[in-house]
Amino acid sequence: MTDPDRTGGPVPPATGTLGTDAPLSLAPAPSGEPAFDDHRPPSAALVADCVHCGFCLPACPTYALWGEEMDSPRGRIYLMGEGLEGEPMTPAMVEHFDACLGCMACVTACPSGVQYDKLIEATRAQVERRFERPKADRALRGAIFALFPYPLRLRLMRGPLRLHQSSGLSRRLRKSGVLQRISPTLAAMEALAPTLGRAERVPERTPAQGERRGTVGMLLGCVQREFFPGVNAATARVLAAEGFDVIAPAAQGCCGALSAHNGRETEAQGFARALIDEFDRARVDTVVVNSAGCGSSMKEYADLLAGDPAYAERARRFAEGVRDISEFLHERGTVAPRHPLPMTIAYHDACHLRHAQGIRTQPRELLTGIPGLQLREIADADLCCGSAGIYNILNPVAARELGDRKAANVLQTKAQLLVTANPGCLMQVASSVERSGGRIGLAHTIEVIDASIRGLSVESLGAPPTSIPPNPLQ
Amino acid sequence: MGEIILENLRAATEGHAVGATEADAVDSMPARWVALPVSTEQTAAVMRVAAHHDLAVVVRGSGTKLTWGARPERVDLVLDTTRMDTVVEHAAGDLIVVVGAGRRLDDLQAALSGSGQWLAVDPPRRGTVGGLIATAATGPTRLLHGPVRDLLIGVTVVRADGVVARAGGKVVKNVAGYDVGKLLTGSLGTLGIITQAAFRLHPLPEARRWVSVPVTEPDRIHVLVQQVVHSQLVPTAVELDRPATGDATLCLLLEGIPPGVQSRTAQALDLMGAGATAADNAPDWWGMEPLVGGEVLLKLTHEIAGLAPLLSVLDDACAATGLTSHLRGSVAVGAVTVGLTGAADAHALARCVADLRERAPSFGGAVVVLEAPGDLKADLDVWGPVGGLQLMHAVKRQFDPERRLSPGRFVGGI
Amino acid sequence: MDARGLADQLRPLLGDDAIITDHQRLRTYECDGLAQYKVTPALVVLAETTAHVAAVVRACAAAGLPFVARGSGTGLSGGALPHADGVLIVMSRMREVLEIDRANQRAVVEPGVINLQLTRAAQPQGYYYAPDPSSQQICSIGGNVAENSGGAHCLKYGFTTNHVTGLELVTPGGEVVQIGGKAIDAPGYDLLGAIVGSEGTLGIATKVTVRLTRTPEAVRTLLAAFPHTDQAGAAVSAIIGAGVIPAAIEMMDALAIEAAEAAVHCGYPGGAGAVLIVELDGPAAEVAHQFDEVEAFCRDNGAFEIRIAADDAERALFWKGRKSAFAAVGRISPDYIVQDGVIPRTALPEVLRRIAAISDEAGVRVANVFHAGDGNLHPLVLFDAAVPGESHRAEQVSGAIVDLCIEYGGSITGEHGVGSDKAKYMPRMFNHDDLDTMQLVRCAFDPSSISNPGKIFPTPRLCGEVPGRHKGAHPLADAGLAEVF
Repeated sequence: MTDPDRTGGPVPPATGTLGTDAPLSLAPAPSGEPAFDDHRPPSAALVADCVHCGFCLPACPTYALWGEEMDSPRGRIYLMGEGLEGEPMTPAMVEHFDACLGCMACVTACPSGVQYDKLIEATRAQVERRFERPKADRALRGAIFALFPYPLRLRLMRGPLRLHQSSGLSRRLRKSGVLQRISPTLAAMEALAPTLGRAERVPERTPAQGERRGTVGMLLGCVQREFFPGVNAATARVLAAEGFDVIAPAAQGCCGALSAHNGRETEAQGFARALIDEFDRARVDTVVVNSAGCGSSMKEYADLLAGDPAYAERARRFAEGVRDISEFLHERGTVAPRHPLPMTIAYHDACHLRHAQGIRTQPRELLTGIPGLQLREIADADLCCGSAGIYNILNPVAARELGDRKAANVLQTKAQLLVTANPGCLMQVASSVERSGGRIGLAHTIEVIDASIRGLSVESLGAPPTSIPPNPLQ
Repeated sequence: MGEIILENLRAATEGHAVGATEADAVDSMPARWVALPVSTEQTAAVMRVAAHHDLAVVVRGSGTKLTWGARPERVDLVLDTTRMDTVVEHAAGDLIVVVGAGRRLDDLQAALSGSGQWLAVDPPRRGTVGGLIATAATGPTRLLHGPVRDLLIGVTVVRADGVVARAGGKVVKNVAGYDVGKLLTGSLGTLGIITQAAFRLHPLPEARRWVSVPVTEPDRIHVLVQQVVHSQLVPTAVELDRPATGDATLCLLLEGIPPGVQSRTAQALDLMGAGATAADNAPDWWGMEPLVGGEVLLKLTHEIAGLAPLLSVLDDACAATGLTSHLRGSVAVGAVTVGLTGAADAHALARCVADLRERAPSFGGAVVVLEAPGDLKADLDVWGPVGGLQLMHAVKRQFDPERRLSPGRFVGGI
Repeated sequence: MDARGLADQLRPLLGDDAIITDHQRLRTYECDGLAQYKVTPALVVLAETTAHVAAVVRACAAAGLPFVARGSGTGLSGGALPHADGVLIVMSRMREVLEIDRANQRAVVEPGVINLQLTRAAQPQGYYYAPDPSSQQICSIGGNVAENSGGAHCLKYGFTTNHVTGLELVTPGGEVVQIGGKAIDAPGYDLLGAIVGSEGTLGIATKVTVRLTRTPEAVRTLLAAFPHTDQAGAAVSAIIGAGVIPAAIEMMDALAIEAAEAAVHCGYPGGAGAVLIVELDGPAAEVAHQFDEVEAFCRDNGAFEIRIAADDAERALFWKGRKSAFAAVGRISPDYIVQDGVIPRTALPEVLRRIAAISDEAGVRVANVFHAGDGNLHPLVLFDAAVPGESHRAEQVSGAIVDLCIEYGGSITGEHGVGSDKAKYMPRMFNHDDLDTMQLVRCAFDPSSISNPGKIFPTPRLCGEVPGRHKGAHPLADAGLAEVF
């Protein structure tokens, strides 16, 4: 929401930004200094592409929530334009940039082809470098980025004991209340993930079954690797069943998506270089990704490392070889026979698959290609679920509202299983559904395909006989 | 003084002004002069004379609806428009016509029919085109083609002060400026004198069929109307005739190309049920007012689904006051006319109207007295409650600050 | 009191969330869909209820400050251009569909409801809201009421003014008035007829009652490609001349097709000098026969390719190109002016030739998109503001096209409204007395001239006995962006 003019006057108590508990800083950037400096500012030419038609407004989740211009793509582009004209980077301006989910629904909706994705990414990087956030906000972000991009540290967070002990984290962090902010997300992840004992690690090399059609690399991810190893295992199995050798180097790290999407440019570049190195060592031309957010970021490595002569070309080649798993299977065609899975599913388009990568029909075709499977569309399908990377940690109120909307629409399909291609979406919808008192099974697209290839039962996917509608009393 | 005024009027109309006779009285209010301008310029000149001499002016076309509204407070000049009757322009390819306000509607239709077109209004009392606009006359085909206000695309009007103004134009799509034409529609000549109008036209249909069915139960009327309204028949008109005694008749008009009309007629017969018949001609009551000799005519509007409550309220009100009603009209649009008989005195009639108005919220519309014998009408509130009356007064004050155009005839004493 | 003072006064009632005074935020509201004109409002208020709107308007009336209402801010005539010293009242949070009343074929909505949102709300019951501007996925009903918006299907179904049966209006004095309702023909003057299309100058609608239209039994759409606009125009004449009233007939010329293709990949037939989209709807038997007729007319007039939509998806694809056309030209030109003139339909071929001549002579490209059925043109005058002189030449071409429309007995605006943008052309279409008479209406509703003043009429009329401060100045003149026209 907008807050009133903050330049001067007493600070109203604790209603800060967007329902967060963090009070808004009263110290804007030095007056007179323009918002953006010369290092990769949002492009004036791209800003000028916007003809102000407003077709993006109905696609934008924050406009759907708050109905105000500043929290719409058109308005954010306008603020970027103001910054380029020399307006300072004020807390107000930053607030609106931060409120953007980065879902890219506006990119899909825009008839003029405005590259909002490039604009917001450049803007966020400028904000991270140049805007001094309030202490608590900085602490929270610091904690997030000290944890999520590091699979080993995530592993340490597993298990209820660990959450409370937090012996691996500093005292300051514990005191600052940051853990309370992160822990709901961690708790959700924990609740959904199978116990450590059953975790199947994907081997460094999984050989193809039957006639070998090629070799691909596979991203293991961070949250996916530690909390949903079953998804990774299913991915490797499906690729192998379809005739591909799967190379999944254990030493691989984070792809840097969270960092890139939140303006932490140098950090993202570091992760990107390491990942490119790792897969170059593995000598694969194609890297298959089962997380929408990661895949979208990896496809942008050429831009991210364009300024680094040592990596620019390698990044370009790498990016060209990145494929989402559904995209890959669709492209190469499937050979492994499918066994029936008689059930109804609701398919949720992860924003970074649908909008950022434009992948919409491929997963649907793969799923409807399974005999007996009935796919139902979700109303308002293009509206983000509110997960948006770490958005639901930074902006819990807005994320909650969006999650509630998505949960209601999902449950309305009366499908047995919700299928999506992003761990973040899965967790967000899961907790929203639970909050509403409803129930629906959850699975990653690749898990469904894996179950079909292996001839598993509908029950094995955790689908209840029918989805349970939200509790009307809540 | 009267001589000078007549002189001036004759000068303004090149001799076409006379002293009024009894026949020129407006709703029993005697007039003093009649002027018959032949053009907008002459009309403006006449109005300047009227302004100069503070004359109250009532516009008259064929005079078919001069008794509508309340009786005017005074009538000095009757401005007769019938000499302004030319078809100024008929652009058949563009389906528009520009016509003098004094042309009779029937004569206009005759002129248009040669090109296979018509002005899509068919009200019961067909006078001049100007009268059509000024009274917002309505007929059965309104359901499909819309009311007069939606067919009017341009207007030339002479103000009370004699200034000539145009609004709209000759093209159907036009949002330049305010839609003064709509403001004038139904204004009973209280805002200005319409001298010329431009209308959008429709092609005459190739085929027409009327499908009728007698209906006895009041509830069945409503059910049938709802079924028709939500069907895919797309009727041009849906009319109900409900006399005081005997069966009511519901009748649809279906128009279009022959195979389409044939198919829809079959569907309509099916939908309307037992006793439904199809004919190539309209029933003899079609498009006529239900005047039953009692000379009291009301216009009732209603929400489409308010038909059943309206019939029930009407019957109650009549029973309570010893009146009988004959209702006829466009029940799928929500505008019907009711003829009343048996009004022993003004009191009974007033009570009946008051009853109707009091219970009007149940059918969501308004009750307006169109016609009543002079002595009865004088004691009646012709118009009833009016929403936005203050704004209407403000509009009147701007257009006619001296209150000389049909004073007292309109709502709120305007 | 100025707008800042007003903010403090309104905060307790409306809440902090509803008041915007921060300069950077205010600037995001400084233009609507017509980005060439920008004026930063002194204050922005996001209303959520009728009471809010009334309170703000009353406060403005008491302080003598102008106010401007804004819906989604997608208008193309600068109707929502703010006043530098006034309040912008944003209606986008009043977006509830209050009632879908199938039995009465009515809907009651708040003004911030989006046009397509209303149609979607009615669709499950077999109804829809007929006026469908190309921006219907974002434009608001309130905005439609202000501009009397049309859309591709207005040829058969009419415009907003033919579909509004009731309004709740906050008058410029701050009173709440109920006009009309679900029934038609409310006694008295047709105030609805004056208010719809009055571009926010007669008050603010806070509730709108509209007619809903039965979803037609059959819809058939074809796309026909012609070598030249002449032939396409002849086909249109043949169709209309035969007494067919299609639901819509749209035409695009080669340049417009190029832009649309680049934007949305609609896949229109290559090499077309013009494409026609003709849509028929109604009872199945009627549509089937008329459609064959229409197809024949297209072929007889030189169509080299005709596509018939096989299903809703294909139909949507035909329309996608047309509906994105305006925004799509952004891909083939850095800047553009969109005109909205109307000419008699029969004059179409000749006028298109004249436009081509004007375009050639000035060296300025013009893409044409239009509602061929009713002669409403949307010439898109393309230019690059960065090139010296091009802006000026584009303006001149634009003005010449407007003059052309007037010359042929048409109108300067068919559906976008006069707003700020075309006020200067009003005296070309209407004389002093015409404009004076229209302004009588304005004076009746808004004697103090605070309701979106400076729009529509280039020279405001002083209303009767109100002397003193001249509040009706054109906002562009106020902001020093233009001289009084």
